[in-house]
Amino acid sequence: MAANKRIMKELGDVNTNPPPGCKITTKDEDIYNWDVSMDGPDDSIYKGGKFTIAIVLPKEYPFKPPTLSFRTKIYHPNVTNDDRGAMCLGMLRAEEWKPPNKIADVLKLVRAVLSAPQPDDAVEAGIADQFKNDRKGFDKTAQDWVKKYAK
Amino acid sequence: MQRLEARRGVEEQHFLARRARSHSYNPPVDLRLVDYVSSYDPNLMCPICRCPFVDPVVLAECGHCFCRECIRQSWNTQTTTYTPHGPHGDCPSCRTPARLRPRSTTNNILINMTDELIVRCPKSDEGCKAEVKRGEVQDHVNIYCGFTLVECGADHCELPVRRKDVAQGCLHYGVSCLSCRKELDKCNLDCHWRNDCPARQTECAVCKSMVFPRDLAEHSSTACAAISVPCPGAALGCSNRSTGAQARTHADTCMLAKLAPILTTQHERLEEQEAAQKQMSRKLEVLEDGFTTIQSILSPFSSDNMVDKLGTDPAPGPRPTDLPGPYSADFDLDAPASFSAPNTSAGPYASPLHHLLHMHESLRDEISRISSALSELDGRHSMQNLNENLRTREEISYIGAQLGGLQRQVHWLTSAQLHRQQAGRSPTPGSATSAGTAITDATSGAGVEAALGAVNTAATALRGAARMVNVGGREASGMRRGASEEGRTKL
Repeated sequence: MAANKRIMKELGDVNTNPPPGCKITTKDEDIYNWDVSMDGPDDSIYKGGKFTIAIVLPKEYPFKPPTLSFRTKIYHPNVTNDDRGAMCLGMLRAEEWKPPNKIADVLKLVRAVLSAPQPDDAVEAGIADQFKNDRKGFDKTAQDWVKKYAK
Repeated sequence: MQRLEARRGVEEQHFLARRARSHSYNPPVDLRLVDYVSSYDPNLMCPICRCPFVDPVVLAECGHCFCRECIRQSWNTQTTTYTPHGPHGDCPSCRTPARLRPRSTTNNILINMTDELIVRCPKSDEGCKAEVKRGEVQDHVNIYCGFTLVECGADHCELPVRRKDVAQGCLHYGVSCLSCRKELDKCNLDCHWRNDCPARQTECAVCKSMVFPRDLAEHSSTACAAISVPCPGAALGCSNRSTGAQARTHADTCMLAKLAPILTTQHERLEEQEAAQKQMSRKLEVLEDGFTTIQSILSPFSSDNMVDKLGTDPAPGPRPTDLPGPYSADFDLDAPASFSAPNTSAGPYASPLHHLLHMHESLRDEISRISSALSELDGRHSMQNLNENLRTREEISYIGAQLGGLQRQVHWLTSAQLHRQQAGRSPTPGSATSAGTAITDATSGAGVEAALGAVNTAATALRGAARMVNVGGREASGMRRGASEEGRTKL
């Protein structure tokens, strides 16, 4: 019940004062499933794209971390290149998660990671290698994907 | 003795059972779930539950503060092993290993600040309108709130009933709602009507949609589709109109709404300035008019032969000037002696405004000079008056002294006369002579009295004259002052 209240509070907060470039909706009154529509950060290669991110809050929230997945395909070393589109964020690991963290903070971190991918902490080793060794090719593929999927 | 103990045991059991029952009817208030009426500082919020701290504890190891329940829960979900020295784990904020101590080091100020927040009674859904301090809400529910469940007053009925309904006897009999035909207990009828009887929904006055009576206030403030609020930036061209909560989010994002307060203040300031400017220009106009009239007054004196005469004259008067060409020349009123030739050194003025301003300045100088001369004159006149007055007053007092002497003489004469009469009457009480003297006495007495009266009238006349002199002097000075003021205002 208390978790419920906290989620309601956070929802109210992000609706009145959303993080930059984000628009948050909930699936038919289910406050444990959030849909975020995020614009690609202006200072990144994902500029112009519109990404849909699904956030699932566990029943134990805020004591357990939420899970975050890209519904829109994205070419990024920290996002798995499959149907799930799970994003690897250090903050979201069970042992790293802190209850005081808010979803708005998580979304800010997601934007930061989109602007500056972290190849050393990658889930897609191939993309990370390309990012490190062939930056131009990576940028091109990423922008192609933005045009193809994130419009 | 045994029976007494047995009886006490039974009573105690009964009491405990009652308490347990009341506890189950009314679970203790969860302070995280109540609605806060007063706004509170975000620093008073627990970072875990995002509510004002409930039973706050400060971790001695790192200084972070949490609700006791929140930190307990946080550590329970972590894989911690039981230790005999109380619960321990990592601080949820900074991961410093910490321990929960039985005696917390929390400052009382923090506890008081959170306990003094005003909250709505947790029974507000059922109709309680009370708003109390958070620290007192448990007492309110336990003792005062009419919507708290208590044991039914009737015998053999163990069902709960609201405190306000206890006096109505047992309400635990089935009734059916008049509106929707739903079967329910009498005691729950009010609540049913308020919260979920579909036939008792009221119509929102604005949007005509049906709302439960309980939700009416919230509906009109957030959800009502018809109550739309224009964007605060409507005056600046934002045409957005949205309802309740949407309007608030729009106002947060709309650039025009953010600019609106600044721009409106700027606009007001601009209007103020415009009004001030209008006033200034009107004043300038008046001054210009005054200046032209003065110029026309001065023009006859502007011949050269007046210069020497007026230059040495201390009395106020028009100064010699040349006729200024439109915006090209200047008066130099401060230095009348050097003003024998038209001042051509000062070039044409940059604008008519400058010219007028300069003229205005010189006129002001002139007026101040005139006023000082007037005051000087005034002083001289009053001095003269005073001197004259003094002399007159001395004369009057002299005359008054003479009059006094005269009066004394007359008095002496009368008294001498009376003496004589008395001396004449006492030795010869004869009838004819006495009558004759009486007559002469009477006549002489009347004469003396007439003389006295004359002297008195003379004295009053003198006094009147003195007053006249005084009043005349005062009046004269007053008139002069009035005249000088009039002259000043005229100028």
